[in-house]
Amino acid sequence: MTTTKLIAGLALGASALATAAAAQDCGSDPVTLNAYFETGFPLPTELATEFTNQYPNVTFDIREDQFANLMENTPRLLSQDGAPDLVRLPSISDLVTNGLLMNLDGYYEDFGWDSFPEGNLVQLRIDESGRPRGVGSLYAMGLNYSTTGVFWNKDLGAEIGLTEAPTTLAELDAAMAAAKEAGIQPIMQWNKETAGLAFPLQNLMGVYGDPEPINAWIFQQEGATIDTPENLEAAEHLEDWIEAGYFPSDANAVDYFTMMSRFTGGEGLFMFNGDWESANLQNSMGSSVGFFLMPPMEEGGRHATMSSPLTFGIGANAANPDCAAFFLDWVATNETAREINVAVGGSNPGGPADMAIPPQEEGSLISQTLAAGQVIGADNGAMDFIANATGAIFAAGWTPELQKMVGGQQDPAGLLADVQEEYEDQLAR
Amino acid sequence: MTHLENSTAGAPVAPAPRPAASRRAKAQRRAMILFIAPAFLIYAAFVFVPLGMSVYYSLLRWDGIGEIATSARFYGLRNYIEVLTDDDLLQIIGNAFQLALWFTIPPVCLGLAVASAIRSQMAGRFGTATRTILFLPQVIPLVAAGIAWSWMYDSYGVVNQFLRWVGLESWTRGWLGDFTYALPAVGIIGAWVLLGLCTMLLVTGIARIDGSLYEAAKLDGARPRHEFRFVTLPGLKNEIGICITVTIIQALSSFDIVYIATAGGPGIETTVPGLEIYRLAFAHRQVGLASALAIVLMILVLACVLPIQWALRDRNK
Amino acid sequence: MTFPRLRTNALFARGLIVLLMIVTLLPFLSMLSAALAPSGSYPSGLEWPSDPAWGNFAKAWQVANMTELMTSSVLIVLGTVPAAVLFATMAGFGLAKLTTKRSAWFYLVFVIGLTLPFEAVITPLYFEVRELGLLNTRGAIILPLIGLYMPFSVFWMRAHFLSIPQDLSEASQLDGARRWQEFWMVQVPLARPAIMSLSILLFLWTWNQFLLPVVLVQEPTRRTMAGALGAFQGQWGTDIPLLCAGSLIILAPTVILFLIFQRQFVAALLQGAVKG
Repeated sequence: MTTTKLIAGLALGASALATAAAAQDCGSDPVTLNAYFETGFPLPTELATEFTNQYPNVTFDIREDQFANLMENTPRLLSQDGAPDLVRLPSISDLVTNGLLMNLDGYYEDFGWDSFPEGNLVQLRIDESGRPRGVGSLYAMGLNYSTTGVFWNKDLGAEIGLTEAPTTLAELDAAMAAAKEAGIQPIMQWNKETAGLAFPLQNLMGVYGDPEPINAWIFQQEGATIDTPENLEAAEHLEDWIEAGYFPSDANAVDYFTMMSRFTGGEGLFMFNGDWESANLQNSMGSSVGFFLMPPMEEGGRHATMSSPLTFGIGANAANPDCAAFFLDWVATNETAREINVAVGGSNPGGPADMAIPPQEEGSLISQTLAAGQVIGADNGAMDFIANATGAIFAAGWTPELQKMVGGQQDPAGLLADVQEEYEDQLAR
Repeated sequence: MTHLENSTAGAPVAPAPRPAASRRAKAQRRAMILFIAPAFLIYAAFVFVPLGMSVYYSLLRWDGIGEIATSARFYGLRNYIEVLTDDDLLQIIGNAFQLALWFTIPPVCLGLAVASAIRSQMAGRFGTATRTILFLPQVIPLVAAGIAWSWMYDSYGVVNQFLRWVGLESWTRGWLGDFTYALPAVGIIGAWVLLGLCTMLLVTGIARIDGSLYEAAKLDGARPRHEFRFVTLPGLKNEIGICITVTIIQALSSFDIVYIATAGGPGIETTVPGLEIYRLAFAHRQVGLASALAIVLMILVLACVLPIQWALRDRNK
Repeated sequence: MTFPRLRTNALFARGLIVLLMIVTLLPFLSMLSAALAPSGSYPSGLEWPSDPAWGNFAKAWQVANMTELMTSSVLIVLGTVPAAVLFATMAGFGLAKLTTKRSAWFYLVFVIGLTLPFEAVITPLYFEVRELGLLNTRGAIILPLIGLYMPFSVFWMRAHFLSIPQDLSEASQLDGARRWQEFWMVQVPLARPAIMSLSILLFLWTWNQFLLPVVLVQEPTRRTMAGALGAFQGQWGTDIPLLCAGSLIILAPTVILFLIFQRQFVAALLQGAVKG
């Protein structure tokens, strides 16, 4: 049966795929999927609601938590009875090492996920031993595939004569300086609880160097280091921004949601963030918000940015793995789900390569961010997040060190050296 | 320990001059042990056993996920060495002691000021109102205190609003994200919680000081500060000792407030051992190191509290 | 320094006390003012909103499943406090009446636990509770709490029984069954004030217990109020008005009980500190 479905999926593409997927579904008995989602992002819950509409026997028991708690709780939750069927995963490598995540290779075959662009799934593959990432079995799926960059407030831009998105790093620098001069907060960025400065830092890394070595580090390839001359330049550039007062002076007291409400409230010219906020920003700021990819050093140069799946996994001890997998497949292939996905989530819904992204209004923020995703694809400039390199590198490395840098307690060289030391220490465990 | 061995070993062969009385005493003892048994058993099961396991884990390198038998390995005292040499862990332990100063000094000083100024029981409606209001922070969950104060300290919160209102615009900041002020800010939350308890303890205590001592001091021409130094302070030694014991235990074993208000940041500026134990054990999967830190924390609390208790007991004799 | 001392002193005291009361109340007021701002907005400091959004309280009640949370907390208190008080009363009585050296040893074992930070045992407790199959149940909070309360409670009750004159309990003359009867009929009624205070303290500590639920129980509706507040903050912390409204609801029950039984609470807390 598996083989027939696989062949059908390969041969007939999307339409056949839907039939194939239906062969393995949630049955007709009542099922309650135990889900653990991230607070503040409505997409998974809305998808769950729609799923229950279509499959009334399936209900969701959803627990939500903020990202930092999520990072802390996931290993413990996955290791005990009643592990979540569906869980939002910040990082998967340690969880695989400990055998806490279900291997999805079987579902990959059953549902014909080989028709999905492999580039989307590669970040979710991992060697059985837990490293390196990027090869081996599939251990998670993306609910969608995001692109990050810089949102900007066009009204504030107009005040300093910035009408077009900067196309080089120098232009971006100049815009920030002009904003500062004019009494406008150049960047609104969070740095409390988790370090939001990791976004501009990694963007700068992508400007000064190539994305490949950074991905190698994130994927825990042998001998990879974050402490490179290019990254040092990037960190120094970030420090210049800090010292020039481009970030809010209370950045360490600004959490993600405070940043969002301040930026939408007109405080801050730029914000480094991802397209998961496109719909939200479009609603609250209308035409005064724009998006651009981090500009390269030279005009027309290679773009690189963080672009990663909104990672969801299935607990190895989960009670309803088949139904959870069916849900993940449904999210990627069901037309309604894909529409919700883009409208609410703002990112590329992934799914079969030949399935079109639901059309968006011309010039809308979502269409801008989706187009940016194409640019990154063409430039082959996608990086995973440096925060996802290991289970604890964000909490124990980037966050404290970047907070120290904002507080003037850490310099660029020390930042990279300390994070690298923490990374090696964690890999040695 | 040695008495115990003596009494158990000696009991059966001890000469029994009055068999009936001794039998009764024995029955009495057996009955009392039955009375103690339930408390002892549940205490042993949920305090002594885990404490023993903590000691055991602290000698292992274990991620807490696999079975101990297969995935843990013996690690000797290296976890303890790491606790006592790692810069971050030392800073975290130091944070707890700084926090102890903040939890202790403001409530005790303010309590002393109030007590020596009124020097009597608080009576009447004003007294009741005072007691009630000052005790409020004692009855709410510390989590709620953490949430309330996070909002107070917010960039748009009351503290900054007040500073702007009095014209100290330049002092406004995100208090809980500031390297210099985050720890004191957390300390003030604890001081706020403990203020009422300390004040009422000291007020109750001062009312018990013999009034004739003050009369005598006045006759000797003592100034108020002498009175405070030679009558009030000695008379309140007991209460002050109690306040300090309570506040230090609260500070060293704090978890709730920090977890909610700062999550240990910025950097590790407000991380305390309680929070780090939780993180190490459950998020970073270093059960051995977490357990070693737990044992060290327990010993530190004892090392701070026992001397105070001994000092109090000596003087009471 | 020769100004009329008594009056200035009294004035100073009153002023200081009023100031301390204001500082004590301010965080509550600031929460209330934030709770009345429109849900989802970012409130600003202390200000009475022009259009108070009282609906936030209803919304918080509903999204947090407040009815279930309260039920859960009540169940945990009912499971913990009576058992802990009973065991402690028995043990306190036993220890007070046991005059052998062995009792000193028993007593010492209990006293050692008095300063024990819960964090010192939380890691092994997690694995122990997991072995018992109690993770994610109220039992995961109730059973360890009873054990963790024993040092203080036994200490407290023993102190009470020691303060009772010896001749009241010529228990040594009685045999087993009647000794038990005497304990219930004579000793327990005499100990009522001590038992009441202990119950109040244990109620507060249980209701406000945070660490155990955070580690041992994931489901907020099976946690204590404080633990549930932690989960509520995790889920709704992004919406400050709603968070403040929910926090106020969650801290209301103990505050109301406190206001009603103010005298008993204060006495219990003061004695608790003295003896602890």
